[in-house]
Amino acid sequence: MQDKLVEFANLLRENGVRVSLAETLDAFSASQITGLAERDAFRAALRSTMVKRSTELPVFEELFDIYFSGLGEIIKQASEAVQNALSMSDQEFQKFLDEVEKMLKKQGKDLSELAKQLLQNNSGEMERKIREASRAVKLQGIERTIEENYFARALARALGLDKIEAEIKELREQLEKMDIGSELKAKMEEYLERRLKALDDIIRRYVRMEREKRDIKQKEDQRLNQIGEKSFYYLTEEELKKMNEAVTRLAQRLKNVITVRRKRAKKGRFDIKRTLRQNLEYGGVPFKLRFEKRKKEKPQVVILCDVSDSVRNASRFMLQFVYSLQDLYSRVRSFIFVADIGEVTECFRNNDSKEALDVALKGDIINVYAHSNFGYAFRNFVSDHIGSVNKRTTVIVLGDARNNYNLPHDWCLREIRQRAKKVIWLNPESRNTWGFGDSEMDRYGPHCDLVEECRNLNQLYRVIDRLVAG
Amino acid sequence: MFSSIEDVIERFAKNNYIASRRIATVIYLASEMRKPILVEGPAGVGKTDLAKVLAASLGFDMIRLQCYEGLDEGKALYEWEYAKQLLYTQILKDKISEVLVGAKGLTEAVDRIAAQDEVFFSERFVLPRPLLKAISSEQPSVLLIDEIDKADAEFEAFLLELLSDFQVTVPELGTLKAKHIPLVVLTSNNAREMSDALKRRCLHLYIDFPDRTQELAIVKLKVPEAAQKLAEEVVTVVQSLRKLDLKKTPGISETLDWVKALTLLNVQSLDQELVSETLDTIVKYEGDVRKAQEELKDYVRRVRARRGTEAGSDKDLLN
Repeated sequence: MQDKLVEFANLLRENGVRVSLAETLDAFSASQITGLAERDAFRAALRSTMVKRSTELPVFEELFDIYFSGLGEIIKQASEAVQNALSMSDQEFQKFLDEVEKMLKKQGKDLSELAKQLLQNNSGEMERKIREASRAVKLQGIERTIEENYFARALARALGLDKIEAEIKELREQLEKMDIGSELKAKMEEYLERRLKALDDIIRRYVRMEREKRDIKQKEDQRLNQIGEKSFYYLTEEELKKMNEAVTRLAQRLKNVITVRRKRAKKGRFDIKRTLRQNLEYGGVPFKLRFEKRKKEKPQVVILCDVSDSVRNASRFMLQFVYSLQDLYSRVRSFIFVADIGEVTECFRNNDSKEALDVALKGDIINVYAHSNFGYAFRNFVSDHIGSVNKRTTVIVLGDARNNYNLPHDWCLREIRQRAKKVIWLNPESRNTWGFGDSEMDRYGPHCDLVEECRNLNQLYRVIDRLVAG
Repeated sequence: MFSSIEDVIERFAKNNYIASRRIATVIYLASEMRKPILVEGPAGVGKTDLAKVLAASLGFDMIRLQCYEGLDEGKALYEWEYAKQLLYTQILKDKISEVLVGAKGLTEAVDRIAAQDEVFFSERFVLPRPLLKAISSEQPSVLLIDEIDKADAEFEAFLLELLSDFQVTVPELGTLKAKHIPLVVLTSNNAREMSDALKRRCLHLYIDFPDRTQELAIVKLKVPEAAQKLAEEVVTVVQSLRKLDLKKTPGISETLDWVKALTLLNVQSLDQELVSETLDTIVKYEGDVRKAQEELKDYVRRVRARRGTEAGSDKDLLN
């Protein structure tokens, strides 16, 4: 049992669940308390001792099923398949097995153990044997599909499959000569053949299952990574959905980091007034010191998001990010623009993400079918909304700076920067194309504290990291 | 203590708590292994109740520590009662002067006072807070540390020491060791990830919303006076509401509140008007209310349609 638990812990680790040695020990003592007989209790024992994050529960459930029922289940299915092929009911099958046993006894020939167990349908012992053999051939090291055949053969060899084959062949020959009813004989014959096949089947399925165990997490990781590197422009529906989750998590992370930083600097200067007041009950003897609480500096963010056709996909995603941010912070003001500029703060606050995004992109707030005009939008922002920017505000502009050869009005951006704490420009276009054609990035760039290419999720991650660090 | 998993389920049931086998197993393990349980899950699934019922079913005292941001040792473990000490010194002024009679010089006076130290730093002047109470309790107890995720990370680290050794060092008094190791239940709403060190010391239990049959059983147990039909309808509606993307998903406690409210109003079965009037017992945000109303309209329409067809088929039969 210990071996099995250690192996299971390793398996969990390979699939990204952190299991410490102490937890494995706990799992062991817990499983001794619950015992193994009752599966649900055993499962609960392992779950409560080895998995400490609710997000990791699905991985655990899946692996537990594969690992602890895997081989037994396969063997059971195989024998059920045999039973079905012979089209017998449970009772008949049991009777038939008794017949088989009688026959084996009559033969008086020594069969190898596994062959006996196989024919007598002794699944527990068979399971143990197969596990032993799989350890001998180091089946746990299997990683690729390509290796399945190799391991299946190795396992068959370790189990002595050819010997069993020979034995069963011999049995069939002897069966011919035996004096039992022809119907039973035919059944017997079929049984022998099917059993042999079943063993082969068990081996193959077991090997495949072992490989799959190691696969689950890997696949998931790969997929997330791919999404991370893929440009916003080429995302499918499915990927967009995944992306939304990722973005929400990202915003949450941003918030977590900021909260931690805020807490570290919680205590301020010595507060005489409060100390005196607090210690009045002790006759003015200052037992308890009081410090000023630092004012929590809530991050103020103003976001200007370009939603023109040229950045349609990216802006949808950016808006999702904006939405998540606004959900987390109280002081975020969000604007969208193409040529006109309009505020969507309220709309985001009152709707859930999908509706909010739909409303924003539908064109009720601003005309989204116009040609982008950054200059015009900036100038309107400065004249109408400049009040929302003060020295604690971080202004984030999301857009490709493709201005359709309109007046860039870059002085507006300069003015915004003078009032704001920071101006950050995130551009969903590749850096190589900045400044070509109608891109005004070169003109706007100098008025920003930070200009970043932000074409995919990984880049957004990096930007966030830098924002948080800086 | 419990004798088996079945025993847990049974005794919990006696205290009006329906424990699934999974929960019961963890409780049983915790009582056998003497390990704290960390209970996680959405709000309103009965995490705090679990501790209360655990205490009740074992006949233990329950000591509760509610965590919040800024909770410190003084509030959680113990504090010296300065005011009382001060008061005593005032009252005992004469006695103190007696002690000092004939003392030569400041040094001797201080020495004499110092000899009386233990009078003022004795257990008499210690104000025990929940953690110290749990440790020094004469009776075995259940210690509930509620919403541990609200406390700071420093407090969590401090808790680690306590949870592994169950002893506390008060500098003036020495080390206090627990007479009975309390059963500890920590609850968390996942506002923040707990540290690995804490998680490692605990058994982890994740409680999710119950499925329909379970919830119905809970409703029947807690509000036995509710009409069967009403209970079924309410549970169905709440289950479907949970599938919506709400800001605050209604928990079991909200279901119970709603059933209770409707039962008080002597309602036998849900209808449109009633639902919209009493909806605020289960849905707590403006935006959520709107969404829930949409969903409920659908629900009522469906039910009505079903009833309609049933009535129709009756007529067919008559014909």
